[in-house]
Amino acid sequence: MGEYKALNGAVLKGDINTATAEMQKAIDADKNVQDIIDNGLIAAMDEVGERFSKGLLFVPQMLRAAKTMQECMKLIEPLLQKGDVTPKGKVLIGTVRGDLHDIGKNLVSMMMESAGFMITDLGVDVPPEKFVQKAQEVEPDIVAMSALLSTTMPAMPQTIEALGKAGLRAKVKVMIGGAPVTENYAHEIRADAYASDAGSAVSKAKKLLGIS
Amino acid sequence: MKSLNIPTFLPRLKVLNREQALAIHQAALEILEKTGFKMEHPDAHQMLVDAGGKVTNDGRLTLPAYLVEEALKTTPKQIALYDQKGNKTMPLVDGNPFYGTGSDATFTLDLETGQRRRAVLKDVANFARLVDNLENISFAMSMANPDDVPVEDIYVYVFAEMIKNINKPIVFIADSGRDIAKIYEIACLVAGGEEEFQKKPFMLNYSEAISPLRFPQNVMEKLIFCARKKIPICLPSGSNAGGGAPITIAGAMALGIAENLVGLAVHQLTNKGAPFLFGPNVSTLDMKSTVVSYGCPEWSLSQAALADMRDEMYGLPTWAYAGASDAKVMDAQAGAEAMFSIITAMLSRSNLIHDVGFLEYGNTSSLEMVTMANELVAMSRFFTEGIPVNEGTLALDVIERVATGGPGSIFLTDDHTFDYFREAQFLPQLLDRSRYDSWKEAGAMDLYTVCNTEAKRILSEHQVEPKTDEVLNEVDRILKGR
Ligand code: B12
Repeated sequence: MGEYKALNGAVLKGDINTATAEMQKAIDADKNVQDIIDNGLIAAMDEVGERFSKGLLFVPQMLRAAKTMQECMKLIEPLLQKGDVTPKGKVLIGTVRGDLHDIGKNLVSMMMESAGFMITDLGVDVPPEKFVQKAQEVEPDIVAMSALLSTTMPAMPQTIEALGKAGLRAKVKVMIGGAPVTENYAHEIRADAYASDAGSAVSKAKKLLGIS
Repeated sequence: MKSLNIPTFLPRLKVLNREQALAIHQAALEILEKTGFKMEHPDAHQMLVDAGGKVTNDGRLTLPAYLVEEALKTTPKQIALYDQKGNKTMPLVDGNPFYGTGSDATFTLDLETGQRRRAVLKDVANFARLVDNLENISFAMSMANPDDVPVEDIYVYVFAEMIKNINKPIVFIADSGRDIAKIYEIACLVAGGEEEFQKKPFMLNYSEAISPLRFPQNVMEKLIFCARKKIPICLPSGSNAGGGAPITIAGAMALGIAENLVGLAVHQLTNKGAPFLFGPNVSTLDMKSTVVSYGCPEWSLSQAALADMRDEMYGLPTWAYAGASDAKVMDAQAGAEAMFSIITAMLSRSNLIHDVGFLEYGNTSSLEMVTMANELVAMSRFFTEGIPVNEGTLALDVIERVATGGPGSIFLTDDHTFDYFREAQFLPQLLDRSRYDSWKEAGAMDLYTVCNTEAKRILSEHQVEPKTDEVLNEVDRILKGR
């Protein structure tokens, strides 16, 4: 970490001005791009995640840190060749059919995005067919579903079934969440993972894909 | 001493001054005039356009202030809810507070095992029967989203179950225009016809718009249905601070009120004078756990503010919450949070106060919690009734009698004590004040255990006056869809 102490600190604090200035300094100093990202930004975000899970940071602080990282990434993007930075994995996410709750789903998306996943968000009230259609298009590693109503939970196994019928089930991991959803339910409907909040959603997703 | 005729001051909590109230109202109007909203029900959309609403470039609607002010004028300032036998038990007007349970908890704390488990239809029956018996719990909601009924008709089953197990007013949920029609059919059966029902409505619908500023088709279907049939309705949105709305209570309230006003405009354009219960749900999103809290001071504060706005300008009865908690079991936290919201809701004179008995931020219901809340409401009521000051209560003659009565003369033996102790004292039924030894002898029970025992007793002893076989058969027919 040492080399990027100021950048790390600024990301951690969510100080966008200082962070982008430090970022520019690193770029001007011709540092290796991947090295800046890994040790300058992601390392700081890992620390943010760590502190959040210990209850030392609040959600807005975490999201601000993520935003700071994104602002820094913008500076580096023009320098990147296609394929220079590979996302941790692709996630297709949505709130299931009949369900209009989206705050939890949005939070999960944001956290995953800031952890390096590429997100495609289908919004709310997403029917199984739409999950399937989009999955065919973007070829995600993970299909993530949110349901806040026990009446809409059955749309989860229905979506899993639809993925199966389309021959996609073996190609994707399925993750589910939302207040009425439980670990047991995930087993029952043969989802691959369940997480009770956005923080653990990120670590479960990493585990599913075998990344740290 | 000259004879006294002093009106009793009723303690009242005020959290906003007039300028604050007006500013929040103005902000709500500005949201509607400038930001606008998404109205996904085509007829409602048209109705608002015809009345003066403007469609923006991106298809949103904005409303001129006069349209909203007009709706506020035509809405009745009071809603009388009746019980199912036709008695006016809940006059929602001025500062009358009424407490009741909440709706769709996924889980419940099992009365026998104490374990959290998935809720079933029988739980709906148990909560209804308990509430039927509890003196200070005035209305029932389902308290469960049962696992064992057909999902498409879940709210019809739940409503029918309540009809069978309680005679107090019901606050109900429906999914859309389809199931609400069935529920209404059942309600008319109970009341003895549509006309009878409309004369003495015993239920109120709880529907929700979506913050920020979105009005889905199915929600508007219910709103329009209720307006036409004069079924009282409330339409709080999830304008929780930091979740569906800004983190600051003032902004969250402005947004929630704006959303209520849109609902009210559609409602009154559909049927002027139909009853509408005013108020958003402004709780807060906890920034560590990311749960929407059901035990926070923010929610109590926002609804106290709404009651002030009612008194300053709206004049409409308000929707509120209390007696719930974020605790996972009925522990000290549950007691503290329940009492905090119950007493503040009463002191601020909210009108219809729901969610009594929820644990775990609305995910779990508890019969013991409801039982405890019944006592907490009584305690709060004692406090909010203030201190009557008159000759009888000042008791100067008694003081003189005892003070000059010589040795052995004590207040305890004076007739005044006998005459007054029932009204002068709060007499707890569940809260324990026994001396240590007797407490220990009686089993050293904590309040949870006491409430558990009491809930079990009520459920085994209380008989709900049943509906006629004719009504019950018809209800079954409707459930079976024939
Ligand atoms: C806000 C809210 C609303 C808002 C939603 C606004 C919006 N834009 O989302 C509105 C007002 C619209 C609403 C409407 C309704 N609601 Co609502 N709502 C809530 C409330 C209060 C909070 C939900 C929330 O946003 N929490 C904050 C977020 C951050 O947390 P979260 O959603 O739990 O998400 C976290 C985790 O669950 C997890 N997670 C979530 N999704 C996913 C997905 C994946 C893949 C993973 C891994 C993890 C994960 O991570 C998230 C972040 O940490 C809850 C009660 C509660 N306290 O939870 C009721 C609640 C969910 N609603 C309920 C009900 C009944 C309804 C209505 C039917 C009410 C009505 N009268 O019409 C309607 C249904 C509308 C519909 N068709 O969807 C019930 C559900 C009961 C049940 N078992 O079915 C609840 C539990 C309240 C209750 N006890 O009655 N609601």
